[in-house]
Amino acid sequence: MNRISQLVPERSIAESIACLLAFVVCATGCSAPSDETQQTTLPIPRFDDGRVNLDRVAGEKGYWGPASVNSLVETGVDVEMDERGLLADIGDAGRVAPFQPWAKALYEYRQNNELQDDPIRFCISPAGPRHLHRPGGFRIIQDRHYERVYLVFGGGNRNWRVIYMDGRLPPNPEEVVGTYYGHSSGRWEGDVLVVESSGFNARFWFSNGGLPHTEALRLTERFSRPDIHTLKYELTIDDPLTYTRPWNAEWTVDWVEDGEIEERFCEDNR
Amino acid sequence: MRRRILVSVTTLALPMTALGQEGFPLDGTWRGHWGTSPIDRTTVVLVMKWDGTDINGMINPGPDSATFTTAVLEPGDWTVHIEAEDRDDAGNPVTVVIVGQLEDLGSYNRTIEGTWRRGDVEGDFRIARE
Repeated sequence: MNRISQLVPERSIAESIACLLAFVVCATGCSAPSDETQQTTLPIPRFDDGRVNLDRVAGEKGYWGPASVNSLVETGVDVEMDERGLLADIGDAGRVAPFQPWAKALYEYRQNNELQDDPIRFCISPAGPRHLHRPGGFRIIQDRHYERVYLVFGGGNRNWRVIYMDGRLPPNPEEVVGTYYGHSSGRWEGDVLVVESSGFNARFWFSNGGLPHTEALRLTERFSRPDIHTLKYELTIDDPLTYTRPWNAEWTVDWVEDGEIEERFCEDNR
Repeated sequence: MRRRILVSVTTLALPMTALGQEGFPLDGTWRGHWGTSPIDRTTVVLVMKWDGTDINGMINPGPDSATFTTAVLEPGDWTVHIEAEDRDDAGNPVTVVIVGQLEDLGSYNRTIEGTWRRGDVEGDFRIARE
């Protein structure tokens, strides 16, 4: 009696052969799920009421880190640019976004002088989607008690941004004095956090590479977590004083396990 | 010594360049002067605002302001052409025509320089963004 039949003495010979074949197949071709597979198939963290948690769960470390693209580019457009948002070919400028003529000329000017006028060089904070492209990472902290979501950034000067989830209306555009972060109101559409922002000033660049904007800028951001290690970010840019129509961009951000956002102060890196 | 001088120059330069270009290049309040000679100068203030289609604005805001009738920024070479309806001392309409070149585009305190014609009097001007 061979070893297999010793192990399964009450099975039929046919069953034993099937087991042997299964053993051979697994020994040669099967393996336990890789760490990567296990990680991406882990359930998305949720709060007790089922709401998606866009941050770490209690007892864990981690933060949102590298983005899949370096800058804002209209969805569906493929242009090559470096980590600062500098185009490899300035001839691609007109494809990046639906510019008004002055905005395209200004974008090209900024590109041609290699972003020398970038406010971030003078420690003026990035804002809007650009924060998600800066080194240092960020977290999305859902303060359910006060009905707010905080975006806490490692880059810049460890800035933070508040998104009001209590249904308050944005300030009257005729009365508001624009700020760097503007006013953000959020709501949930299923598992997607939808954030509408307005009331910006124009003293910052809202993208790597120097896409222009005016105080008329309105952003609609959609944050979702398709799997535990991925944040999907979808953005609609509406600035009729700068662009000929609203336009969209999107990218993903990777989760950095077991880490904390880094302490980065602009003044230390000038 | 060379190093000390370099540091001093850099320090002085920082406040001049500490803020970059923002928004539509002509938006804002601009102050300067125009005149027919270096000693015959008149202070002027221009306020400009882009609405997505037109550049609106006025010269010398206040009771005697002159509203723009035409304003064009040519993004190909950053030249500016402005026309406004003013009134002379007798209350007669007089057209102001301003043609200039936008300089230091990347600077918050960018400038426009060029020619300024008011009726049949022509001179030069220079204004800087405040």
